Amino acid sequence: MSSYLSLKGINKSYGDFVALDDVNLEIKKGEFVTFLGPSGSGKTTTLMIIAGFEKATRGEVEIEGLSLAGLDPQDRNIGIVFQNYALFPHKSAVENVYFPLQMRKVKRKEGMRRAEEMLELVGLKGFSHRHPKELSGGQQQRVALARALVFGPDLLLLDEPLGALDKNLREQMQIEIKRIQKKLGVTTIFVTHDQTEAMSMSDRIVIFSQGSIQQADAPLEIYHRPKTQFVADFIGESNLLAGKVVDAASGILSSPVLGDCTYSGDHQPAVENGQDVTIVLRPENLTISRDPIEGRMNGRMKIETIVNYGDNALVIGLSGGVPIRVRVLGADVVILSEGDECCFSWDEDAIFLVAE
Amino acid sequence: MNTLMRVIAYAVIIFIAAPLVIVVPMSLSTASSLQFPPPGYWLGYYASYFSDPGWLRPTWNSIVIASATTVLTMILVVPAAFALVRHKFWGKGVANLMLMMPMAVPHIVMAVGYYSVFGQMRLVHTHLGVILAHTCLSVPITFLVLSANLKGFDRTLERAARSLGASPLQTFGHVTLPILRPGLLISALFAFIQSFDETVVAIFISGRDAETLPRKMFDSIRQEADPVIAVISSLLFLIVAIALIAPHVVSALRGRFTTKGQEKALIAQ
Amino acid sequence: MNRMISRLSEQQNLWPWLLLLPLSAYLLVFFAVPLADVVQMSVTEPTLGLQNYEKVLTGSLYRKVFLNTFMTAGIVTLCCLFVGYPLAYLMAHTSRRNAMLILLLITMSFWTSFLVRTYAWMVLLGNNGPVIWLIQAMGFEEKPHLLFTRFSSTLAMVHILAPYMIMNIYSVMQKIDKSLILSAESMGARGASLFRHIYLPLTAPGIANGSVLVFVICLGFYVTPVLLGSPREQMAAGLIGHQIEEFLAFGLGSAMAIVLLGVTLVILGIYHRRFGLDKLWG
Ligand SMILES: Nc1ncnc2c1ncn2[C@@H]1O[C@H](COP(=O)(O)OP(=O)(O)O)[C@@H](O)[C@H]1O
Ligand SMILES: [Mg+2]
Repeated sequence: MSSYLSLKGINKSYGDFVALDDVNLEIKKGEFVTFLGPSGSGKTTTLMIIAGFEKATRGEVEIEGLSLAGLDPQDRNIGIVFQNYALFPHKSAVENVYFPLQMRKVKRKEGMRRAEEMLELVGLKGFSHRHPKELSGGQQQRVALARALVFGPDLLLLDEPLGALDKNLREQMQIEIKRIQKKLGVTTIFVTHDQTEAMSMSDRIVIFSQGSIQQADAPLEIYHRPKTQFVADFIGESNLLAGKVVDAASGILSSPVLGDCTYSGDHQPAVENGQDVTIVLRPENLTISRDPIEGRMNGRMKIETIVNYGDNALVIGLSGGVPIRVRVLGADVVILSEGDECCFSWDEDAIFLVAE
Repeated sequence: MNTLMRVIAYAVIIFIAAPLVIVVPMSLSTASSLQFPPPGYWLGYYASYFSDPGWLRPTWNSIVIASATTVLTMILVVPAAFALVRHKFWGKGVANLMLMMPMAVPHIVMAVGYYSVFGQMRLVHTHLGVILAHTCLSVPITFLVLSANLKGFDRTLERAARSLGASPLQTFGHVTLPILRPGLLISALFAFIQSFDETVVAIFISGRDAETLPRKMFDSIRQEADPVIAVISSLLFLIVAIALIAPHVVSALRGRFTTKGQEKALIAQ
Repeated sequence: MNRMISRLSEQQNLWPWLLLLPLSAYLLVFFAVPLADVVQMSVTEPTLGLQNYEKVLTGSLYRKVFLNTFMTAGIVTLCCLFVGYPLAYLMAHTSRRNAMLILLLITMSFWTSFLVRTYAWMVLLGNNGPVIWLIQAMGFEEKPHLLFTRFSSTLAMVHILAPYMIMNIYSVMQKIDKSLILSAESMGARGASLFRHIYLPLTAPGIANGSVLVFVICLGFYVTPVLLGSPREQMAAGLIGHQIEEFLAFGLGSAMAIVLLGVTLVILGIYHRRFGLDKLWG
C-alpha cells in the first residue's frame, strides 16, 4: 500500500527554540501509529500541525498527495481526542456527539440517530442524555472518542487520551480503542509516553526525542533493533556499553568492559572496521553464574544492589567501574547477595550494535 | 488569646448584623421621625413610597441608567477582556493598568471632572451624562470579573469545536458564548450594581431631571425628614438578602428532593 | 467573513488592538479628559498659576482637613483590622456551616448599599435610637450625643469597610496549611509565640491587602462623613464637594482633588510595585 498521510520536512520554531526539526513520516491508510517520546519532545506539536492549529515553519502535511496547507482546521476532516477530552460541558453526551454532524448540516433527527449509534459502538448505550460532569473519566473518554469518529474522519488523532485514567481502566480502554479502530479502519495516530501502551496497541511506533524522529518501526523491531542510543535507552531496559568494531566481516568487536567478543551479523547496522559503536545488551538476555559458562561469552562483576520485584529481580553490578544490569528469575535470586563476585554471560545474538 | 479573639469575634458579628437587623423594623414603624422602640407598626410608609412620584421617579431613573450602563459597559469590556486575556502583545501590561484606573481614582475627583466637562457638553442633568460617567466607573470591576471567568475557560474546547467542523464564528456561538454565559451574566450584574449604587458622581451631575435613587436617598437622609427613606432602605436590603439566601434555600431543597428521589430509586430496586 | 476573521486572527498583532480600541477610545474621552480637566482647572481657575496648590498645601483650614482625613483613614483602617482579624480567625477555625453563615452575613452587609447602612447607623445612634435607649435602660441618666460626631462617622465607615478587610484576611487564613501550624506546635511554639512567629507572618499579605484597600477607599470617602460626621471636622472629599457646590470655587476644589488623587496613587503605586495592583481586588 502506498502512503496515505505524509509529513514532509516539517520544522517548527518558537522564536529561537526549535520544537520540531525536519520531521518526515509516511503513514499508510488504516494504520495505527503511536507517537512515543518523553514530555516536550514535540508529539503534540506534530499533531497540532497535522490538525491545522499550528503552522509549520517549514514543510508540508499531505493526505493522499494533496497538501493541507490552505485548509482551516474545520475543513480538514480530522477527528481529535484531547487529553482532557474537551467535552462541551453545556451539552449532553449525545449532543456532544451530534455536534460535528450539526456542523455538517446533518438534520437533527438523522444526526441524533447516528450519534446514538456511535455511542452504542463505544459502549455507552443509555448514557446519552447525561452531561459530561455526570460521567466517569472512562465514560467521558468514550464520548470523546465517539464524537471524534461519528463524522467519518479521514484521520483520528489521540493525544495521550488515557493519561488521566487509572491502570485498570487504561488497559480496558486500550483494548476498546484498538477494537473500535479496527472495526472502522480509520487511520490513527495515538500519542503516549507509556511504552507498554505503545507496544501493545500499535502497528508502528514513532519515537520522538527533542523534536526529531529517532525511529519509526514495528514494536518488536524497535525493541530488538534500536537504531539510536536514545531508542535503546528509552525502550525497555538496556546496558549501553562503548565498543569498537574489530572485524566487521566476521563479527568481532572489542570493548573495555566486555573484552573481545563476537556478535551475530543478522540485522546489525552497516559498520566498518575500527568504527566506534554502542553495544546494547538487554538485562533479560544476561545470565548470572558463579563461574563462567561454557559456550557463552562471559564477564565478571561485583554485585552492588539487588532490587526484588517478586517474580523477578534486577541485579546491578559493577564491571570495570561500569554498571551492568541483569534481570534474573525470582527463584535464582536467593543464592545471590550484595557484595558477591560473579560472572555474567550472554549469547552472541544478544548483542545489538548502534552506530551513530 | 483564643478566647479573647472569640469574644471579640462574636461582638463583631453583632456589630455587623445590628444595622442590617434594624432596617426592616424601622420601615414598619408608625413614628414619623427616628424613634426606638417604635411606637407602633404599620405599612403606611410603604404605601407612600409606592405612590410618591418623588421616590418612584428616581427609582425608575436608576433602573434605566443602570441598565443602559450595563449594556454599554458590556459592549466595551467584553472585547477588551478577550484581547487582554487571550493575546500577548506589546503594551498589554499598560493597557491592563489603564483599565483599572477608574477604580483607583476617588469618585469625588471624577465628580469634579464630570461636573465641569459635562457642563460644557450640556450633559449634566441628563440620563445620558450619568450613563456615560457610570459606564466609565463600572469598567474595572466588570473587567475583573469577566477576565477571571475568561482565564478559567479551557481553550481546548474551542480547538475541539474547530476540529469537529465549526468555523471560528460557529465556535464562538456554539461553544464559547454558551459556556461563558454565567460569567457574562455575573459581570453584567456587577456593572448594574456599580451603577445602581453609585452616589457621588450622581449627586454632582444627575440634577433634578436624571435624579438617581442614591442621590434622592442622600438628600433625604441629609434633610432627615422623610420616613420613606426607611422603606426604600429596607427594600434595598431585602433584595440583597433574598438574592443571597435564595440560592442556599433552593440548593438545600433540591438536595433534599434528590436524596428522597434516590431513596425511592433504592427502594424500587 | 469567516476567511476574514481567520486572516485577522493570524495577524496576531492587530486583532487585540482592534478589540481594545472601543474601550480605549471611551476611556480617553470619558475618563482621561475629565481628569485632565480637573488638572487644568486646578492651575487656571480663577487665574493661571499655582496659587490654588499653595493655598491647599499651606492654608490652615486645608491642612487641618487633610490631616483629619489621614487620621480618620488611619483610625478606620486600624479599627477594621481590630474588628476583622478576630472574625476572620473565627471563620477559619469554626465549622464549615458556621463559616458559611458568617460569610453570608458579611456578603449581605457588603452588598447592601452603603447609603442604607449609613442610614441604619443614623437610626442606631440617633437621639431616640436603640443605643441611647440601651444606655438609659442600663441606668445612666445622661443622654450622650452620638450622631454627627467623629465617633459616628468613624463607626459607620468601619462597618462599611470591614467586609473588605475580613474577606482579604479570611481568604489568606483559609489557605494556610494546617500541618504548618501543627508542625510549629510540635517544635514547641505555643500560644502567643505561635501566633507572632507563625500565624501573623502567614496572614500578613491579607492584612496588607485589606489595609491598603480600606485606607485608600476611606481617603476619598464622601457620603458617610458628610451625612454622619461633624460639620466642624470635614474630610477632604466633603470639603471638595463643598467648594464646588457651595462656593463654585472650581480651582481650589480641583487642586484639593488632585492632591487627594496624588496621595491615593502614590499609595497604590507603592502597593503595585510590591505586589501588583491586580491582586488588590482579588
Ligand atoms: N506555544 C509555544 N511557545 C513556545 N514553546 C512551545 C509552544 N508550544 C510548545 N512549545 C515547546 O515545544 C516543545 C514540544 O512541545 P510538545 O509538542 O507539547 O511536546 P510533547 O507533546 O511531546 O510533550 C516543548 O519544549 C514545548 O515547551
Ligand atoms: Mg503533549
